[in-house]
Amino acid sequence: MIMSVCETDAIQLRSPDKVMKLSRLGSIHQSRLSFMRILLRRMQNENWRFDRPVFEMDECGVGHAVYCAHGPDRTYSLVAFSHDLPAEKRSDRVIADAWDATFTLFDGIPTSEDIERLSRNVPLQEAGRICETELSLSRANRSARLWEHIVTALAKGEQPDLQKIEAVGYLMRTTAVYGSGKFGAADREMIADRLEFQSPFQVEMLSVFLTRAFVRDLVEYMARMKGGEKAVKLDPAIARSMGIGNSTGLGMAPFLLNHPVLFNNWIAAREQAAARVRALPQASEQEIELFRELLARSILLTASWTTDHQIQSEKTDGLKRDLVSLQQQAENISDASDHPWNQLNTWAEKELSLEGQECLTSLMLEPYGALVDDLANTMAADNTPTFRIAGAMTLQDLREVLERVYGWALEIDWSDQQNKAKAWYVSEEKLEPRLGERFEEPIEEYEQPLAPGRDAAALYHALGHWPEDKNIAQFLLRHPEYRHIVRRAQIVNQAPYAEIRDNTIASDVLPIDMLRCKLAFFGAVQFDPRSDRWVRINMYANAPYPEELALQSDDFWVYPALRKGN
Amino acid sequence: MSYSLNEIEAMCKCASRGAGLPWGLCEEAAKGTRWLASFGFPGPDLLVSLLELNDRLPAVDLSPVALQGIWRAPAGRLSPLIAGAAMSDCAIKMELGNIITMLEVDYPLLVVPFASGAALRLGQPVAVEWEGTRMVTNGKELCVQGNSEAILSSHAKRVECSAPAQMLSQSKPIHRAVVGDACWARLGVFAQRTFAPATEASRLRGAGAGLTDND
Repeated sequence: MIMSVCETDAIQLRSPDKVMKLSRLGSIHQSRLSFMRILLRRMQNENWRFDRPVFEMDECGVGHAVYCAHGPDRTYSLVAFSHDLPAEKRSDRVIADAWDATFTLFDGIPTSEDIERLSRNVPLQEAGRICETELSLSRANRSARLWEHIVTALAKGEQPDLQKIEAVGYLMRTTAVYGSGKFGAADREMIADRLEFQSPFQVEMLSVFLTRAFVRDLVEYMARMKGGEKAVKLDPAIARSMGIGNSTGLGMAPFLLNHPVLFNNWIAAREQAAARVRALPQASEQEIELFRELLARSILLTASWTTDHQIQSEKTDGLKRDLVSLQQQAENISDASDHPWNQLNTWAEKELSLEGQECLTSLMLEPYGALVDDLANTMAADNTPTFRIAGAMTLQDLREVLERVYGWALEIDWSDQQNKAKAWYVSEEKLEPRLGERFEEPIEEYEQPLAPGRDAAALYHALGHWPEDKNIAQFLLRHPEYRHIVRRAQIVNQAPYAEIRDNTIASDVLPIDMLRCKLAFFGAVQFDPRSDRWVRINMYANAPYPEELALQSDDFWVYPALRKGN
Repeated sequence: MSYSLNEIEAMCKCASRGAGLPWGLCEEAAKGTRWLASFGFPGPDLLVSLLELNDRLPAVDLSPVALQGIWRAPAGRLSPLIAGAAMSDCAIKMELGNIITMLEVDYPLLVVPFASGAALRLGQPVAVEWEGTRMVTNGKELCVQGNSEAILSSHAKRVECSAPAQMLSQSKPIHRAVVGDACWARLGVFAQRTFAPATEASRLRGAGAGLTDND
């Protein structure tokens, strides 16, 4: 299903040519429609129950634990294995082969036989084998900076140093969370009809949510092993501020290009939500007040965002300035303002950086859960209907589609080496996706089809001398090499936000823009690029722990609480 | 071993690419093989046999010469992937009552998944018939008539595709399939060709992780 994109007449949706630029996609922020928030909202509304039937560890913290999440119809269990990893083996790269902890999300409650089978496979990750009762496979490494500090402090009966905690933000970071059919796990199609998995990546988000509880429990357990009677538990407020880190490499970037309909549905849902809010003729005093409060809390969230990466650092500084200007501007709107959100947006487009504009797009959705949350159900995708090529389309029609969707690519000089300097390929080393220099490394013959702009321009050129009344079936019979890009063009013709409208192989392409976009849809914060193609983030920082979820009165956990005086 | 359908699709896409097929056809070969596997047919076995037969041969030699009349390949044998994709592209012809006839088709069962795409596009069941076998699909379900030897045959002299067709019985897909180790290894040989050899430079530069990735 492709999400419909034209329901709001009063205020137009933003054009794909504007939205689908890498610089803007690389400035997107989490929102109500982020997958973590969708998951917690559902579990909160449906009163999910949580328990920990198994926690068997030795004095070194080696063992396993089971965390169950009981929904209205089904139970899911995180099976966690904790290992004793020598420091020199700790690596975030996909090419690592050992981790501090490994996990799977089990469909139901595992028996001891299941756990025995999983204990022989899950710790091996890619080298092991799971089956259709498992929904995900993941692993995490400790933050060397924080883990020892916290264990030592708690063991002595003290709370850890807040500054040290704020500098990292998490105790463990996942280095891969595999879902849908990977390494033998259940295909998404097997579970896609369950209500709790209606929105994308809910399995993965649930697995990380439970992982965070496990990590807190494990650090407290280790402190008890070390300090015995003297040891104390982590202050709940400190625990709450900590998320689960994630270290993400290039693998996520091809995902957006390889799932065009799904990507369209994510962006279309967010754009639709923004358009609905911009179309509101008035806002109530309470809605405006909530917006102002969450804006102030966003400023706190942004203050906790540190990075050494020069580009991101400049962007974050810009965002901090933007949020202060936005705060001043937001003073000008009231319940008497005409289309206040649209007004604020129009102002932001002129005055704020892309980071600031996209932060506003997310923030203004917050007071309007009743108006936009239903869009969460439109974000998944079934690719079957769009996969088949419509061979009867005339070449004239195809040309028009290419001009409309790939106009930006037709203007690029593809003979200039700078415009195609990079090539995406897969290494034989654990099949790690990589980006190389086309003209410096022997990689072109391994290139993956991740440069739709270049391919669309080549197709447009190839169509040049074909009569306009011939159809695609006739053209593809002679030119099967264009089958891939013809399919994409037809998909984007129906799903306007399906394509990144930018050059993905230019010498100056920043893959972190694609990672940022996907991670923001997950609900991540504190993007900290380690290079142009590698980023660390934080997930579920400030979120309630499973046992706190029922006590949560609202859905704004992602924004840190205002301290007295702000 | 039991595989998820996504694993089968991913492996078949890579293997098809390794055998020299253009990306667009690799995508369809992979989806088609997955579709057959979901109905319990040894799609991966047929695909790998086809890839071995046509390894790195030019697609155009195995394609229909023209879409008018009876379809035949300039080199004599039609690829079921290329002819199947062309049939799906021309689905509208069948809607008008025309039968698409293909001559000398290797591994004809590999044509059937394309009939499922055509059926979805037409909104009515499409039949594929060869040598005593008749397979009808509405895109989501499959009706099978014929003995397994004919269904899995390595070559058919004549394959006919038509619509609308009647579905007498219906089997539904399942979300799991068994693929033999030998078949998986044969596919792996092709897939391996698509992976760049590991070098130290690529390890450091290509993934951009820098020298330290730990803290």
